[in-house]
Amino acid sequence: MSVRKSATASVRRIATLASTTARPTTERERERRRIAVLCLPFFALAIVAGFVPLAMLVRISFAEDTIWMVGWSFGAWETLATTPAYRRVAWNTLWFVGLATAVSVALGVAVAHALEKYDLPAERVVVAAVSFPIALPGIVVAYLITVLLGNQGVVTNAIATVTGASALDLASATAITGLFLGYVYSLLPRATMVLRGTYAAVNTQAEEAARALGASRWETFYHVTLPEIRPGIAAAAILTFRSGLAIFGTVLILQSHQVVTLQIHNEISVGSYAPDVAAAIGLVYVVFIVAFTFVGLRFVDDDAVEV
Amino acid sequence: MTGDTSPRADDGSTAVENVDTVAVAASTTGSDGGSVTAARNRRWSWAGRALSTLFGRPIVTGIVAIVTAFLTVPVLVAFVSSFAESGSGVLPTGFVTLDHWRQVLGFGEYGVRQNAIPGLTYSLLIATGGMILNVLVGVPIAYALARYDFYARNWINTFAILPLVPGLILGIAFIQTYPEHGRSSLGLLAGYCLLKSPYMVLTVQSSFQSMDLVRLEESARSLGASWPRAVLTVIVPQARRGIVAGAIITWTLAAAEFNFTHKVASGSPDPFAMFLYRNIATNASYLQSAAAVSVYFLIVVAAIVVLQLLGKRGFSTAHQ
Repeated sequence: MSVRKSATASVRRIATLASTTARPTTERERERRRIAVLCLPFFALAIVAGFVPLAMLVRISFAEDTIWMVGWSFGAWETLATTPAYRRVAWNTLWFVGLATAVSVALGVAVAHALEKYDLPAERVVVAAVSFPIALPGIVVAYLITVLLGNQGVVTNAIATVTGASALDLASATAITGLFLGYVYSLLPRATMVLRGTYAAVNTQAEEAARALGASRWETFYHVTLPEIRPGIAAAAILTFRSGLAIFGTVLILQSHQVVTLQIHNEISVGSYAPDVAAAIGLVYVVFIVAFTFVGLRFVDDDAVEV
Repeated sequence: MTGDTSPRADDGSTAVENVDTVAVAASTTGSDGGSVTAARNRRWSWAGRALSTLFGRPIVTGIVAIVTAFLTVPVLVAFVSSFAESGSGVLPTGFVTLDHWRQVLGFGEYGVRQNAIPGLTYSLLIATGGMILNVLVGVPIAYALARYDFYARNWINTFAILPLVPGLILGIAFIQTYPEHGRSSLGLLAGYCLLKSPYMVLTVQSSFQSMDLVRLEESARSLGASWPRAVLTVIVPQARRGIVAGAIITWTLAAAEFNFTHKVASGSPDPFAMFLYRNIATNASYLQSAAAVSVYFLIVVAAIVVLQLLGKRGFSTAHQ
């Protein structure tokens, strides 16, 4: 009885809200209409290009016939849950991206620290070098790694000339270390961008006071600077980790580690065509990214977030 | 000691830091003050200075130098060797030849014979379409988020400034959902727009946040402008730098978007990302790939130069 009453009441309230938003009479209602109008284009796009395709992905993962997408079956999810290979892919992805994130954020702290505190001789060059790779797609990053470490790579050939070993033996672009450097190449600039914003807001008076009171540079950094930049480090780690999970082009070209994006690609390739399994992996992957981002951002300050 | 902590607490509360962090910062120095002086006395007696004071700065500067080299050397080597005749050996040799550029762009006598200009033009047009759509979609929501406080504002904000669905997944879902139009230019355009909209929203939002929106809007309204007119002719023009910067960033990123394009593109004309892929992954020579990648470098450099003319630090969404 009371449940039905409250349900009717909330339906009525939503209906009133909708009608006053459409035909406002007070200034408050007009403001609500303005907000709705301003948000409408974005949500129209997000629904057409984002939510509907994602809903379709759910349908595909339950499809019995994967060519016409008809019938219902739990086959794809069963395959996903029972095949150990998929758990290995998940583990591969998590440790690899986690390690790349840790390295990128640590290096990002060093670069942001130096840019903010030191009088570097070529500061503009460093800033340009750090911001340029943000625009590069994964396939270009993969190529740049082969420029450094491939069979004809600069570093490979330099070491080969010095040590006399064969360049083909030294080439590591298509080894897992090459892929790791590719990840760091893509992720480091993103981490540095977030951390530069954090460093700009650090209270330098406290650091100067610590130094004047006799703390060494490391003590000042560890006890004064680090607590102040901790929210920035957390935000950088979250954004870097989720960017790392989305990397596909680099791994498609270098092919040295079976991460989730490559697995999804393989599932829909000719020869092993299983779009229902690909959709199921994709859904787990998207849900993980969204949950991770929202849970992670609960713990950091919103202002530190930058793409 | 107390003279040290009190100004920090004042500054900390005005800074971006949350209260917890300030408390942690204050308490660590609080518990640390005594030991620091003791440590200092001991250190003065035998070594003069701490190791980190002597070597910290050179080490960090060294790390920055290595990082900068790691990020720039491959780009420069790729660009320079695209003009070289031979890429074997430590450094490319035999300058200057435009053969690789000619091959890549489809005017060569061998290699990829396909003319790349239609694909490039097509791709740039799609990126431009995505950019225009992004202005129409991104500017309104950025204004709503910067100006008004409303129900679920924070959630919508996170949703609008983070690319939640990766391009690869979106591409797969897209062609299954819209089998007829998914592979068309319209599909590419909508996908690019959604994938790159966070950059637009963030850039424009940081521009709006630096303005006193309430006062601007109320002044215009009190002088007799209707609300649409106040927004379109007073507020949006004030944020034009942010809008143009966001447009350039989204355009450049969309021009070479690969993960989504790889799944959605139908083949003819070939979008720019597929042109890059063809020249990097499939039987193209090392130097030919260098020329293909350099085409994109030129586009990015042009974008960065324009962004710097607009007063931005390269590909940053932050307001300067």
